Amino acid sequence: MIRLNTEDYPWKSGMTVRSLLDEKVFTFRHIIVRVNGEYVPEEEYETQLIQDGDDVIVLHLMAGG
Amino acid sequence: MQRYLRNHDAISEAEQAVLSEKRVLVIGCGGLGGYVIECLARIGVGHLRVVDGDVFEESNLNRQLLSSTMNLGRPKILAAQQRVMAVNPLVEVEAFQTSLTAKNSIELLAGCDVAVDALDNIQSRLLLQHAAKNAGIPLVHAAVAGWVGRVCVIQPGQDLLNIFYPNNNEVSAEEQEMGTLSFTAALTASWQAAETVKLLLGKPGLDGEVLIIDLLHAKSTKIKLL
Repeated sequence: MIRLNTEDYPWKSGMTVRSLLDEKVFTFRHIIVRVNGEYVPEEEYETQLIQDGDDVIVLHLMAGG
Repeated sequence: MQRYLRNHDAISEAEQAVLSEKRVLVIGCGGLGGYVIECLARIGVGHLRVVDGDVFEESNLNRQLLSSTMNLGRPKILAAQQRVMAVNPLVEVEAFQTSLTAKNSIELLAGCDVAVDALDNIQSRLLLQHAAKNAGIPLVHAAVAGWVGRVCVIQPGQDLLNIFYPNNNEVSAEEQEMGTLSFTAALTASWQAAETVKLLLGKPGLDGEVLIIDLLHAKSTKIKLL
């Protein structure tokens, strides 16, 4: 199990940031991903493995006012 | 005072007196800022310093409280000033028709108890965070896109905007494709105003957390960032 934006979410072996985003169908194009408090750049989405128990935060990149 | 009768006892008379002595800087008088100014004026914050370099355009009418068909082409700060005067003449309004710059930020923040980030671009928001840190005052940040809004309180040095905007040269953000809806701006700004008032009164509020409001899915989430 991982934490995804404060909620429990099932973990799978080999899960990457990219596979998680695809699975969750995040519709926003511009997002910020943090794993265990560390920012993950977009170019690392394919290779960044998510471990069982990780705390993942996905934030919208938005600046409208 | 009859004007504030319905603030009590959610806010005590002593707290009302405290609010009347406070000064809040609202940077941006658009979708968020218009509602924040409205809320702070009605609740009785004594001094509002409002800043915006823009004039109203037709595309503002879908969400910006202070815009109307009567004031297109006119400075947003003038509408803010007139609105506050009409709603609560006890509130002193200082209005500056300018964008935030590194040069004017010190002067704009001087003497303020709280700064409200109601801006619409990443660069200015980061500049404001830096200026608020230097001034030693809390910053109440909010941003909106489409059906989603977020609010957080940034104490000096916490630099939470660096989490939201890790690439400070980023120019493209969600709202450019999703637009912004009226109720998203109104609700997010109301929450922003509430956090501002809590700071002014020393009440506990958001602390190292971001509140995300998703109106499409009728859901709010509070995420710990620090």
